[in-house]
Amino acid sequence: MLVNCTKQDGIGIIQIDRSLTAATVDSFRDQLGSWQSAENEVKNFVVDMEKVDFMDSAGLGSLIAVLKRVSERGGDMKIACLQKKPRMVFEITRAYKVFEIYDSVESALRAYR
Amino acid sequence: MQAIFHTAVPCAWAERLGDRPWPLLPVANRPLLDYWLETCGEQGVAEVQVVLGEHAKQIEDFAEDGARWKVRIHYTFGRPGETPLDYLRIAASRGMEGALLYLGGPFFMRRRQAYRPASFENMEPSRIDAGDAPLFLFGRNADEVRALLAGGAVAGRGLEAIHINPFPIASIKAYYTLNMKMVGGEFSRYVTAGFSSGDRSSIGYNVRTPPSSHLQAPILVGDDCRFGAMTTIGPSAVISNHVIVDAHTELAHCLILQDTYIGRNLEIRHKIVAGKRVVDPLDGTVVEIDDAWLVAKNRPEMRSEDFARYVILWFVALLLAALQVVPFLVIYPLVRLRRIGILERQLFHDPHTGYINLPGLRKLRNRKSIVFSTFKALSLDRFPWLLFVLQGRLFLCGQPPMRHPEDDGLIKQLPHYYPGAFCYQDYNKDSDRLVDSLWYAHIRSLYEDLKILVKALVSRFLRAGR
Repeated sequence: MLVNCTKQDGIGIIQIDRSLTAATVDSFRDQLGSWQSAENEVKNFVVDMEKVDFMDSAGLGSLIAVLKRVSERGGDMKIACLQKKPRMVFEITRAYKVFEIYDSVESALRAYR
Repeated sequence: MQAIFHTAVPCAWAERLGDRPWPLLPVANRPLLDYWLETCGEQGVAEVQVVLGEHAKQIEDFAEDGARWKVRIHYTFGRPGETPLDYLRIAASRGMEGALLYLGGPFFMRRRQAYRPASFENMEPSRIDAGDAPLFLFGRNADEVRALLAGGAVAGRGLEAIHINPFPIASIKAYYTLNMKMVGGEFSRYVTAGFSSGDRSSIGYNVRTPPSSHLQAPILVGDDCRFGAMTTIGPSAVISNHVIVDAHTELAHCLILQDTYIGRNLEIRHKIVAGKRVVDPLDGTVVEIDDAWLVAKNRPEMRSEDFARYVILWFVALLLAALQVVPFLVIYPLVRLRRIGILERQLFHDPHTGYINLPGLRKLRNRKSIVFSTFKALSLDRFPWLLFVLQGRLFLCGQPPMRHPEDDGLIKQLPHYYPGAFCYQDYNKDSDRLVDSLWYAHIRSLYEDLKILVKALVSRFLRAGR
């Protein structure tokens, strides 16, 4: 599984297990989409990117698409545990201006309270 | 005085920045070796021994015989297993006349404000090491050199005494810092003819900046660069040769190495970008991005795409030739009979066979003629070129075919050469052939070719007769 989704205090925690690139975005979208369909009441999400060691523009695009979808439903999405290399992609693409980024899942969860 | 430059020394940090050997890595857009040789030229060093290693060809191609710096370069290869120290000991034991300047690794001689070239001859013997190997060594005679090699002599203040700050480039961070110091103002101490330091900036040749591009001093820009609309370049951006920056992108406090494409709407700050590699100079993290929409090497190989594009455009060329054949057979004889113009064979560069004779239109009389205007308006002068496209000798759209021998200099700077029957120049008379050729090599696609074709045909039609 590329995506491991759990729920804590009504907030969805999306743990991504691999690089998020053009090769993996389809399964990311599918797996996340089917979990979201099953857990329809979850509006807010934290994306745990501790195991994501690389990301390209397709991966970034898929995160932005998720953020857009979540925002349209009145929710929010925060990024946690962003590693050095994906962080550099976030920096050069200005994605850090779009997402709220936290050092840990706990601090991202705390930000929702 | 003689000099020995040992370029065969490996340099791990430089390898992370790409294929360019460390002696050719740019410092403020000039290769490190360029500064060394310039120093030799200033100091009247007649003979320079360059010890070559793995990247021998690139170094030899750059330095050639040294005439540019008024020195004579002799090349040798380091023997397997022989360290730079061994090499120096052998050189010293053979006997040498006068002073010796040795440089054997990424080392920069940072000039202070008070530095004067003449003061070099008063320098005390000195040795600066990187690990066990000497990085810099200067002795005024063979005895001093031998003593320095044996470690017995007390090294003097050397470079420091003549207002040069020795700067070993030991890491990516040091390399970035050096470039930032240069763009921060030190560059003016090395300025050679052709550069202006009024706003501590330098722009190379063939740099295209649209009016909406914002250049914020200080910046150092190399040759043949192209900035897209609404780009912000600077402050403190060092941009090497052949760099393309796409629209809405901001570059600041960064070093962009040559042949790099920076994608649209990006923000590069406090980074080094070398082709598809983005480097954080503070901790040396390298991200290799296989995504040509973000950053990429400027001249990618796209063999399968090129082939598909060629096949589709061959049929377009066939259609165009079929439409032009009758008008050409009717109008061209009239153009010739009225002695207005003639198609003459001219020698052009060919990517496969070296050279090719292409018929080019030469106007014989400068007078208005409906026949000639119609001939040009319908682009019938390109009909013979279309036949070459059908033979597989030209592309339908591409870079302007380069003449021989006039354009020999340009062709050397184009590793990818796609001569086309139609090019940017057909609809943009301000087109710079080299920059646009580099640009085309980067963004060539079926869409781009069709855009060139349509714009060229329409523009030639509207311009004809004016």
